[in-house]
Amino acid sequence: MSSSSSSSKSRLVGIITTGDPSRRDTDLAEVCRELDAGGLLAECAELDAFRRDAENLYERVRALFFLYAIHRFHLPPKLPAGKVGRIPFAAYEYLLRRRFAEAIDGFLEAVAAEGPGDALSSALASAYHELAFQTLADQVRRSVRTVRGNQWMFRMGHPADHPLKMRREMLEPGAGGHPVLRERTPVRMDLSHSGWSDIFFLGMDYPEGARVLNVSVDLGVHGRDQETKPPVEAYLRVIDEPVIVLHSVDLKATARIDNLGEVFDFAKDYLGLLKAAVIAAGIVPPGIEGSGKRLERLLERLVGKGRGIELVSSVNDIPKGSRLAVSTNLLAALIGVLMRATGQTRSLTGPLEESERRLVLARAILGEWIGGSGGGWQDSGGVWPGIKLITGETAGEDDPEFGISRGRLMPSHHVFDENEIPDSARRALQDSLVLVHGGMAQNVGPILEMVTEKYLLRSGKEWSGRQEALELLEELIDALKRGDIRTLGRATMRNFRGPIQTIIPWATNLFTETLIARAEERFGDDFWGFWMLGGMSGGGMGFIFAPQRKAEAQEAMQEIMSEAKSRLQYALPFAMDPVVYDFAINPDGTTADLRHDGHAALPAGYHRLTAPQGGDSEEGKGESGGNGSLAGMLEAHGFDSKLHEQIRADLRAGRIGLAQNRLSPATVIEDVRAEDVMDVSSPEAAARHDLEEAERIGAAALGAGEVAVVSLAAGAGSRWTGGAGTCKALNPFAPIDGAYRTFIETHLAKSRRIGRRFGAPLPHLFTTSYLTTGPTQAFLESVGNYGYEGPLVVSPGRSVGLRMVPTERDLRFAWEEMPQQVLDEQQQKVRDSGRAALIHWAKSAGEASDYTDNLPLQCLHPVGHFFEVPNLILNGTLRGLLEDRPQLRTLLLHNIDTLGADADPVLLGLHRRSGHGLTYEVITRRLEDRGGGLARVDGRPRLVEGLAMPDEECEFALSYYNSLTTWIDLDHFLGMCGLTREQILSDDEAAVTAGLRGLAERLPTYITIKDVKKRWGHGQEDVFPVTQFEKLWGDLSLLPEARAGYFVVPRLRGQQLKDPAQLDGWLRDGSADHVSSLCEWK
Amino acid sequence: MKLRKAVVTAASPAESHLPLQTLVDPEGMSRPALEILLDDLFAAGLEEAAVVICPGTRDAYLRAAGPHGERLTLIEQAEPRGYGHAVWMARNFTADDPFVLLVGDHLFQSRRETSCVAQLLAVAATHTGCVSGVQPTHESQLHLYGTIGGRRVPASPSIIEVANMVEKPTPTLAEQELFVSGLRAGNYYCFFGIHALTPAVMERLDRQVAALSEGETLGLTPTLAELARSEKYLAVEIDGQRFNIGERYGLLRAQLSLALAGPHRDEILTMLIETTANSRA
Repeated sequence: MSSSSSSSKSRLVGIITTGDPSRRDTDLAEVCRELDAGGLLAECAELDAFRRDAENLYERVRALFFLYAIHRFHLPPKLPAGKVGRIPFAAYEYLLRRRFAEAIDGFLEAVAAEGPGDALSSALASAYHELAFQTLADQVRRSVRTVRGNQWMFRMGHPADHPLKMRREMLEPGAGGHPVLRERTPVRMDLSHSGWSDIFFLGMDYPEGARVLNVSVDLGVHGRDQETKPPVEAYLRVIDEPVIVLHSVDLKATARIDNLGEVFDFAKDYLGLLKAAVIAAGIVPPGIEGSGKRLERLLERLVGKGRGIELVSSVNDIPKGSRLAVSTNLLAALIGVLMRATGQTRSLTGPLEESERRLVLARAILGEWIGGSGGGWQDSGGVWPGIKLITGETAGEDDPEFGISRGRLMPSHHVFDENEIPDSARRALQDSLVLVHGGMAQNVGPILEMVTEKYLLRSGKEWSGRQEALELLEELIDALKRGDIRTLGRATMRNFRGPIQTIIPWATNLFTETLIARAEERFGDDFWGFWMLGGMSGGGMGFIFAPQRKAEAQEAMQEIMSEAKSRLQYALPFAMDPVVYDFAINPDGTTADLRHDGHAALPAGYHRLTAPQGGDSEEGKGESGGNGSLAGMLEAHGFDSKLHEQIRADLRAGRIGLAQNRLSPATVIEDVRAEDVMDVSSPEAAARHDLEEAERIGAAALGAGEVAVVSLAAGAGSRWTGGAGTCKALNPFAPIDGAYRTFIETHLAKSRRIGRRFGAPLPHLFTTSYLTTGPTQAFLESVGNYGYEGPLVVSPGRSVGLRMVPTERDLRFAWEEMPQQVLDEQQQKVRDSGRAALIHWAKSAGEASDYTDNLPLQCLHPVGHFFEVPNLILNGTLRGLLEDRPQLRTLLLHNIDTLGADADPVLLGLHRRSGHGLTYEVITRRLEDRGGGLARVDGRPRLVEGLAMPDEECEFALSYYNSLTTWIDLDHFLGMCGLTREQILSDDEAAVTAGLRGLAERLPTYITIKDVKKRWGHGQEDVFPVTQFEKLWGDLSLLPEARAGYFVVPRLRGQQLKDPAQLDGWLRDGSADHVSSLCEWK
Repeated sequence: MKLRKAVVTAASPAESHLPLQTLVDPEGMSRPALEILLDDLFAAGLEEAAVVICPGTRDAYLRAAGPHGERLTLIEQAEPRGYGHAVWMARNFTADDPFVLLVGDHLFQSRRETSCVAQLLAVAATHTGCVSGVQPTHESQLHLYGTIGGRRVPASPSIIEVANMVEKPTPTLAEQELFVSGLRAGNYYCFFGIHALTPAVMERLDRQVAALSEGETLGLTPTLAELARSEKYLAVEIDGQRFNIGERYGLLRAQLSLALAGPHRDEILTMLIETTANSRA
């Protein structure tokens, strides 16, 4: 299938185009190791030329991934350190608008003009990465549309051409109205864990490796349900009204749709999945979207004049995130019932034939694409009966994928019969497996991207891991056939410990590891193994026990999970309390029956939903803590109601808001000059300063106990958990040196090393807020302060804000005026629809009204990191420290996620020697470093927040990004507040309050929009945008008396970890190793 | 296969009047639809025909047959039990001979010199198995017709070797199972309403009628589909038009087509333009 470039001399192009599998699977890193920067750049030029002409989709995509990886991982360390680079804004705008080809050309032109550099490589890496995924997504979309049986739906654009008719049996009126067709579908477990091999892209790239052992199961919640049953149900009937009525029993939502446009408005309500099913089943085919035709006419063709349909979904309250593909199987059930009723399957009732199941699968894939979600092809496994092997297939001549990708989109299913896997083996599996939902809510999306990237790069150990997982699959099948569940358990455990975590270390977490350890402790040899379900652990999981202890293990796992959740609930995002399931293997797959008892045939939840007093889709949603407790919390945490009302009035009057955060357009913003910074980012640059003397000064200060470290730990890490409201500082974010480390532990380990090195324990302060004080204190107590020798102080917050419902003006500014990444076509449609719904929510809830419809903790907000140093003073922490260490002179302040920051003696000495009041650390900018930087503002160097930039383009002219790490001369800072250390020691409250207020008033107040999660039902989460205000630490630099200075430090020291999706790159690009080198864990 | 006999079905009580409708033929003569249909059959070389009718219509049909009455056998079907059953009623008439089958509520208008039936017979003459006339039909009309899928015969692209056949399929099924290369997107070969069938069809119908339970009806397409799976079955694209005179304005369209095919074409066109110009919007 090699397409082109046989003339290329490039070794990497050769790897892509070779017909020899052993060469094709060469690890990119292996080749890159041998090349210097010039060699890598030459390869990049060849690869870029190749990918422009390559006709074969996967060759093109692989070239794009190679280019991404070279620019992300392999080239930057080989470029001259400390080179400042500029990213052309015009090319960046192309990137945001998904015009990746133009963006790449723009970045390459800049490389040609200025030479290569870290900044441009980061931009190119991002553009190649996006283009690779866009190319793959386009291909899946094309394949889904060209699957035979789906094509007609994209051609049909007029109701008069609607080719489907409701089956006669559905139209026969009975005593209870029209009959009800009910589809009942099991969910699926992935017994092998597929190594994520069923991701569409991967099955199409390497069909031989896409193999999954998939089991259809009935479920019940242990202790709640009397019996197990197919948890997914879809009901359909004809109604005597020309509308489509949709009900979700579990989400308690109803929609009555009387126009075509609303069918395609997925995020307007909770019924997006049902709408996607209506479309994918061909009831309202995708081709008719935007036609302006009337739904009534379409329904007349389909069901008859004056008639419509009613569709009801139910998943028996099975919690979201079960990793059992409940949503996809519900989609398949809904599609199935609609296809049966319109004659698209031969079987109106009973199980489906194999060809019909395949068609339902194709439609479910289409439905997922329409709904803007992704996944893998095994997720509709519940449509098939029992235990089956699902495998990728090589594309043949008759397949639309032929010549484009090696594999087909659609896999093959082999259902094991009783001769292959006897009943006794199936029973044995049921008798040993404890199926649970741990309660964690996590976004699997980034993991699926990481896997795709690693497989397509053929990254060495990950590729070996994949081969090992394939071998393990054979072992699993063999064990299952023999009914040897002990061996099976050992194999699933080895799979989890070996290949799965080799490929994706983030598949596990501290919660999962705790559960496994506790199960091992309690059950010893009778615990046979752990089994990860789906994309990552923490939600749906399996624990395999000796059968005689299964009942005991079910109770024990409930207890173990609840206890672990209780301990980790502030550190990890949990959406619900853990549950244990009862389950049974389903022998039928999806089945349907036609019931003539009308209303009575519909589920109980339906009647509650449609009863006159019910049906309010908002009723009963959410955890509302009541205003009483919220009021109490506001009072306890220093809420300033007068300021709050002032902000509300200003917001409503338009005096403040996102647009008003910006500096005046007349402001002159320029990049800083060389003399404005002290560059110590590379050995060459640092050599220009007398570092030996600086180190002597720093070492002496550290040895004398004149320094303390302040870690800002007040925030919830909105980006880290998507607004889940946990404490980021306590998040066990990654395994380093053999154990999961929290941010707190990592910072303490660095301070421990410095303290020991200079013979004086370093005081370490964590500033916290209403949200994090209690959990941080309790957590530190539970881990014995990680054995930290020096003073360790938790500084409680002293100020809090109450979130507000945003104004439409600010929402539109954030979503329409600010540059942001446009999503892939269908995802963007869903996002636009969701945003329209949120604007409607803001207007109906009352713009700038108090946001109180959530847990009290989720309604409050910290008021910005400026306040955290004043809080040290207000709450007496500083006084205590000064009493204990009168020699204290310097504070090192840093963000909780700046993992490379430590009390480095050289930087400390340079700071002392400079005479600066505040010395901020900045780093050279990469594409992802957004949100302000160091600039000359009207001729004066200062830090400018991203919120304050007059326009987006300004930021791209700035060389340095603010890490926020600051060396603070304590007496100087007190002087800026008009205070002395004597006043602090004498607790002169009036002077302290006045001094701090005076300083705060001189700093700008920013309005921001943050996401906050609202949890409800069984693991359901909604995300709302809320308005809050903040004052920021970097703005002190605008005060002349701050005597601010700036160090350019190495990227590894200054970079921040904001998003879990960064973790994989962080582990691979040397960042993790660097942090490890700064730490002493014990 | 040499064919001598034809069977026309007109037994549905709701549609039994249709072949009796009077139309003006291309020469300007008023004649019943049945007579026009039989004209075609006998002009193509067939020698005798049977019409399956519903009870009580014998005399009307005999009158409508006009000069062809002598070569006509009328067979009454006591109660409507499906198309397959109506065909089976003619089993004694066809005996062991192959036969042409037509639906009585249609008129067929060729675009060539040779009639639609003659086009079918020309293919049947070269083949020992069944042949069905087909025509490309848009997917929005699939719910009205039997539809075939298969491969074109390389030397004669208008002839298709049938691999599958489904009565009134959904486009979903049609895309998967009824594909024929060379058709425009969204079009399938649907039955034209004329077939050349072998005695094997009657044998199969015999068995199926015997197995019919009370009140059950029998279609024809499943029997033909079964046959297509067991022996070589051809379809030929008929270069002509079919008019269902039972559907709304079907009779009008058939009449217009007949009139425009004769010497009065200009007169009809003038009339149409005048009528259009003077009609109320």
